[in-house]
Amino acid sequence: MQYSFIEPPWRPRKGYLIMAADTTAARSIVKMKVDEDKIKTLSPHLLMAYSGEPGKSLSLKDPRDTVQFAEYVERNIRLYQIRNLYPLRPAAAASWIRRALADSIRSRKPYVVNLLLGGYDTATHEPHLYWVDYLGTMTEVPFAAHGYGAYFALSLLDRYHNPEATLEEGLETLKRCLDEVSKRLVVSPSKYKVKIVDKDGVREIEL
Amino acid sequence: MQSFVDRYSTTSAVSQLRKVQRLAEEDDEYSDATWGSGAGFGNIMKGSPAFTVPNVPDPTSFLRLHTDDRADPSCRIKIQHGTTTLAFRFQGGVIVAVDSRATAGSYIASGTVKKVIEINPYLLGTMAGGAADCQYWETYLGMHCRLHELRNRERISVSAASKYLSNLVYSYKGMGLSMGTMICGWDKTGPAVFYVDSDGTRLKGDLFSVGSGSTFAYGVLDQGYRWDLTDEEAQELGRRSIYAAGHRDAFSGNTCNLYHVKEDGWKFIGNYDISQMHYEGPGNVPGAPGGGYGYDQRVVGRSSANPPEVVAAAAA
Amino acid sequence: MARRYDSRTTIFSPEGRLYQIEYAMEAISHAGTVLGVLAKDGVVLAAEKKVTGKLLDLSSAKEGGYGGSGEKIYLLNSNVIGGVAGLTADANSLVNYARTAAQRHLLAYNEDIPVELLAQRLCDMKQGYTQFGGLRPFGVSLLYAGYDPHYQFQLYHSDPSGNYSGWKATCIGANNGTAQSLLKQEYKDDISVKDAIGLVLRTMSKTMDSTTLSSEKLEFAVLTLDPETKQPRAKIYRPAEIDALLASEGLTKKDDDAEMKTA
Repeated sequence: MQYSFIEPPWRPRKGYLIMAADTTAARSIVKMKVDEDKIKTLSPHLLMAYSGEPGKSLSLKDPRDTVQFAEYVERNIRLYQIRNLYPLRPAAAASWIRRALADSIRSRKPYVVNLLLGGYDTATHEPHLYWVDYLGTMTEVPFAAHGYGAYFALSLLDRYHNPEATLEEGLETLKRCLDEVSKRLVVSPSKYKVKIVDKDGVREIEL
Repeated sequence: MQSFVDRYSTTSAVSQLRKVQRLAEEDDEYSDATWGSGAGFGNIMKGSPAFTVPNVPDPTSFLRLHTDDRADPSCRIKIQHGTTTLAFRFQGGVIVAVDSRATAGSYIASGTVKKVIEINPYLLGTMAGGAADCQYWETYLGMHCRLHELRNRERISVSAASKYLSNLVYSYKGMGLSMGTMICGWDKTGPAVFYVDSDGTRLKGDLFSVGSGSTFAYGVLDQGYRWDLTDEEAQELGRRSIYAAGHRDAFSGNTCNLYHVKEDGWKFIGNYDISQMHYEGPGNVPGAPGGGYGYDQRVVGRSSANPPEVVAAAAA
Repeated sequence: MARRYDSRTTIFSPEGRLYQIEYAMEAISHAGTVLGVLAKDGVVLAAEKKVTGKLLDLSSAKEGGYGGSGEKIYLLNSNVIGGVAGLTADANSLVNYARTAAQRHLLAYNEDIPVELLAQRLCDMKQGYTQFGGLRPFGVSLLYAGYDPHYQFQLYHSDPSGNYSGWKATCIGANNGTAQSLLKQEYKDDISVKDAIGLVLRTMSKTMDSTTLSSEKLEFAVLTLDPETKQPRAKIYRPAEIDALLASEGLTKKDDDAEMKTA
C-alpha cells in the first residue's frame, strides 16, 4: 500500500464515532484494488481502521502484513467475546492491541501497522477513540488520523471538531477533511468507506 | 566524470562562477569593505554576483556531503528546514503570516527569527529553507527592485521582482541553494502573490504555504478561505493558520508575525505568541474569537457521552 | 467400597462420584461461615472467625494493612473482595493466585478484571486439581463480592470441584443451610446496602454458635461505588469498626445492657 491512510474519525456528542478510510490497495504505482475495506468490525460496537507506515520501504509494509495483523486482532477479540459472552470494552481492546504491537516490535519480524480503534462503550455509554502506531504507542484522543492525510486533517480538526456536534454536523466536518485531502494531496484517493458506531452498533454510510 | 568536466570546461556553472570570482578579486576599488559588510554586496557592482565557492572539484557534492542531515545526522552544517510561512490574496490585499522558529536539526536555534523580509514598502518576501540563502538573496532582490525604480521611474511589478529572483536562483540550480519563498505585494494589477523556490519553480497564485508546517496551515487556511474575506477575517485566518502549524509541527512555533499588504504598501499587524494564542487567544485584536485557539481550551466542559435517560438520571 | 475409589482424585467410583471432592466439601461445611448479600448499590460480606483467643496477636488487624484480620476476608483486587471457607493454607494459595490473575488481566487489558472472569480463572485451576494425578483438590470454597461495568455488583460462589455460580445472597461454611433459608425468607430484590448490612449481621447472629456477636468472631466487608469517582470502593472493616457497626445495629449484648442502663 503505497499511500494508504485513514481519515479522521472522531467522537462528537450524541455518543457516536465516525471512522473513514480510503479504499485503494496499491503496489508501487499501480492501484491493485479500489474497493478495499480497511475498517474491520471487531465486535458489535468496535471498529478498527488499519494502514501501513507511510514512507516505509515496500518490503517492510507488505499489504499482507497489515491484513495479517488485523485478522489476528479480529480473531482474538472474537475469542474473548465467545468465552465471556460480552465483548471487550474499547479501552481494554485498545490496551490488548497495543500490547500485541509492543510485543511485535521486539520480535524478529515486526508488524508495521498503524491503527485507529474506535468504539462505543456500552457500559458507560461513551464513545472512545484510540490512536495506535506500529511502535506500540497508544493514546486516547477526540480525533485522529494516520498516513499522509493526517498532515492536512489534524490542524483542520483542531479548528473545527466539536464534541457536541450532531451526526450531520460531524459528517460535515469529515467532508471538510476529505475535501482538503483531495485538494492538497498529490496522490489523493478517490473513494472512502465511512462507518459509524453508536449505541445501536456499527453501520456503514455513503457520504 | 561530471566533476572532471566541471573543472576544465569553460561553460559550466562552476567555472563561470570561478571566472567571476577572479574578476572580482582583481578589482580593489569596490572591495567588500566598502559596504561595511562581509556578506559580499560589493560584487554586484561587477554586474554579476558571486559567492565564495568551496575550493574543491565539486562544490555541490561537497555541500551535500556536509549538509545532508537526513542521511547523516552528525553532519557539520545544519541548514534551517523547519518553518511555516503563508501568504494569500483576497479582496482586501495580501496577508502574509509566518512563524519565528529557527531549528538546526532537533535544536531550536532561535525563537525570534524575522521570516518576513521587507524588500521595500510595497514588497514582502517570506523565508523558508536556508535562512542565510533567503536573507541574502531577498535583500539582494531589494537592491535590484530599487535600481528598477530608478531606471524606469516606476515601481517594479510583483511579477517582475519574483521573476528576477527565480532566474537568479535558477542560475545556481543544483549547487545547494535552499529557499522556498513567497514574493508578495501590490502593484498596478492589484494584490499579487508569487511562489519562488530554489529549484527555479515560480508560481502565481491566490494562496500558498511553504515549509514543514505548511500542510497544517493549509488545512485551516483552505477551509476558512474566501476571496471576499474582510480585512479582520483575513488577518485572523492568517494568524489562526500559523497557530495551527506552530501547534502541530515540531519545527515551527514560538511566535507569529503578521503583515497586511494594501494599496498603499505593507503594514506590520503584530507579533503573537503561539502558546499564548493556545491558552488565551491572540488578545484583543479585530477578528479574533474570545478565548484560546487550543482544542482543549475551545471545547472545555463539552462532552461526547450520551447515556440513556435512565442511566443519566441514576448517575445524577 | 469407597476405600477403593477415594485414594486418588482422578478415579470415579462405580456410582460416578469423586469422593475426594465430596470430602473437601464436607471439610468446608465445618469451616467458619461466610455470608454474602448482593444489594442494588453494593455487596456485603461477613465471615465467622474460628481462630480466636485472648493470646492471639491481632495488632496487625487493628492498624496498617487494608483492614480485616486476614483470616477469612481478603481484597483480591480493587474491585473484588473474597471470602474463604475451608483450609486456610489452601485459601492463601488461591488468594495469591487470584491476585496474580487480576494483575495479569490489568497488564493485558488495562482494566479491572471482570468479577466473573476472576471466578473463572480460579475455577479453571480448582478443576485442574480434580483431574490430574497425584493432586488433592483445594479444600476451599470462596465467595467473590465484586463490581465491574458489565454487570455492576455481583456475588459469586465457587467450590472445590471448580463449579461456580452467581447469587443474590448465599452462604458457605458451617450452618450454611440454616443461613440460606433465612436469607431466602428475608431477601428482597432491590435491597439497599444499608438494609443488606442489617440482613447479613442478623443472619450471622442467628447462625453463629456464640450468643454475642463481636469483632472477635466476625470479619466484615462492604463493596460500594465511590459517589465522586464512580469507581468501586472496597471497605474491609477493622475490629473497632465492626464493634461500632454491631452497636449501631443493636446486635451487641453489651450495648443492649448499656441501653437498658441509660433507659
